[in-house]
Amino acid sequence: MEDLREPAVRAERLVKHYDGKEGTVEAVRGVDLAIQTGEIFGFLGPNGAGKSTTVRMLTTLLTITSGRAEVVGVDVASDPDEARRRIGVALQEAGLDPRQTGRELLTLHGQLYGFSQAEAKERAEELLELVELEEAADRVIKGYSGGMQRRLDLAAALVHEPEVLFLDEPTTGLDPASRLTIWEEVRRINGHGTTVFLTTQYLEEADQLCDRLAIIDDGLIVREGSPSELKAELSERRGGEETNLDDVFLDATGRSRDRAAGEVQEVGV
Amino acid sequence: MSATLSLGARSLREAIRQPDALFMTMFIPVFFLVVNTGQAAEVFPSDSTGFLEGQGYGAFQLPITLLLAASFGMAALFLVEEIEGGYFDKLRAMPIPRSSMVMGRLVAEAVKGVVLSSIIVLLSLPFGITIASGPLGFVLIILLATLWGVVYAGFMQLIALKTRSAAATNSGGLIFFPLLFLTPNFVPRDMLAEPMEVAATLNPVTYLMEALRSLILTDLDWSKVLPGFAVVAVLGAIMLLLNVRMIRTYD
Repeated sequence: MEDLREPAVRAERLVKHYDGKEGTVEAVRGVDLAIQTGEIFGFLGPNGAGKSTTVRMLTTLLTITSGRAEVVGVDVASDPDEARRRIGVALQEAGLDPRQTGRELLTLHGQLYGFSQAEAKERAEELLELVELEEAADRVIKGYSGGMQRRLDLAAALVHEPEVLFLDEPTTGLDPASRLTIWEEVRRINGHGTTVFLTTQYLEEADQLCDRLAIIDDGLIVREGSPSELKAELSERRGGEETNLDDVFLDATGRSRDRAAGEVQEVGV
Repeated sequence: MSATLSLGARSLREAIRQPDALFMTMFIPVFFLVVNTGQAAEVFPSDSTGFLEGQGYGAFQLPITLLLAASFGMAALFLVEEIEGGYFDKLRAMPIPRSSMVMGRLVAEAVKGVVLSSIIVLLSLPFGITIASGPLGFVLIILLATLWGVVYAGFMQLIALKTRSAAATNSGGLIFFPLLFLTPNFVPRDMLAEPMEVAATLNPVTYLMEALRSLILTDLDWSKVLPGFAVVAVLGAIMLLLNVRMIRTYD
């Protein structure tokens, strides 16, 4: 049966061009996406394929050259503030203010989303408990480990209970234990009804977490479907050979395993 | 407005947690005051140097100290650090006025400016410097030095937003720095050699310095004070306009 619900995220012929030193760079060349409410959607691709550029357009951080994008029915270009109210964003490399404490940062974010000081403090307490950072709450963020910073970044993205959470490579550079903690958090957040848009370089991560995923290469979507559908489709093309997501990725991006090394990594957890 | 104040309060916490930066902001200008006064005080004795209005040479040098201190704000460097670290994008992804992201830091610069300028002037009093224009003059000195600090910090923030690089922002500061010295900082403007006098006359910082100097050395004379405030008003308006435009088109 056709799903008639409004997609949580929709992109139509999304294009981004940059003016570079050597002329125009076509970072994203016409991306179409429709992500249903409640999904964990994975967005994969080699370095420089257009993943982060797409996320930055969807989260209002980059202007759109052409095409359109909506989150929860709100056009991100024409009503960016309303779109910002509906989304939470945790970008590549936890971007946090190193001189604030965890508690101060979450309280500040609450205030910036319009909470009173008392409400912001209360929400900060809830989130610190959620990401298990109560003990470190009054230490400056500069002293946090990478895993703690990612958890705090995640908490900061959840302050206003967003309908859609964008996570741009949330586990890059983390040790396996911290990565598993983030995965658990993502599942828990999704369990509360939040749609999750996740970019990752880790195929295992996409396989474990995502209901559906898309692979982008050279600014275009080259595969889209659930992990099992994509593996089954490739297996069928290869005469029933057993396939995994690595194979799907390599097939989709036309890369050999040698060439892909360093661009996409497997995780051992 | 509340986003600007919240971000301003955060910037103040940031400054307080970086006391070494605040120390350098105070130390270098006071160092210049001591050295310049020490070198030239005997050349310009107070009893026979008309332009000192009966005060010591330190009183004549105090304005450059205040302007220097006001020009050592760290707002742009903290901003560029935030851009490089990614937190600036986190703020941009929030439904807050774009202008609050730059205005918050300027509010904090204003508070810091009031505190630092007051400390410098109060520290100078035991060394025989008096504020001839009285308590109102004191308030105007602090206000003018603070406003200059905010304007200067705003222009530095523009460089930070444009270049997004700490190195470039630091270098950019060096472009503005000579403006502080193309002024009648050692003698009054009419005693400068002609090319320097022309340069000083064209330099807006000269009018700030002369306004501050008049407040320290003489009774309140609005004809000297108002040009200083006019300079910060015009440069401030340009700075705000450019900052808001830059942040709204930031991609």
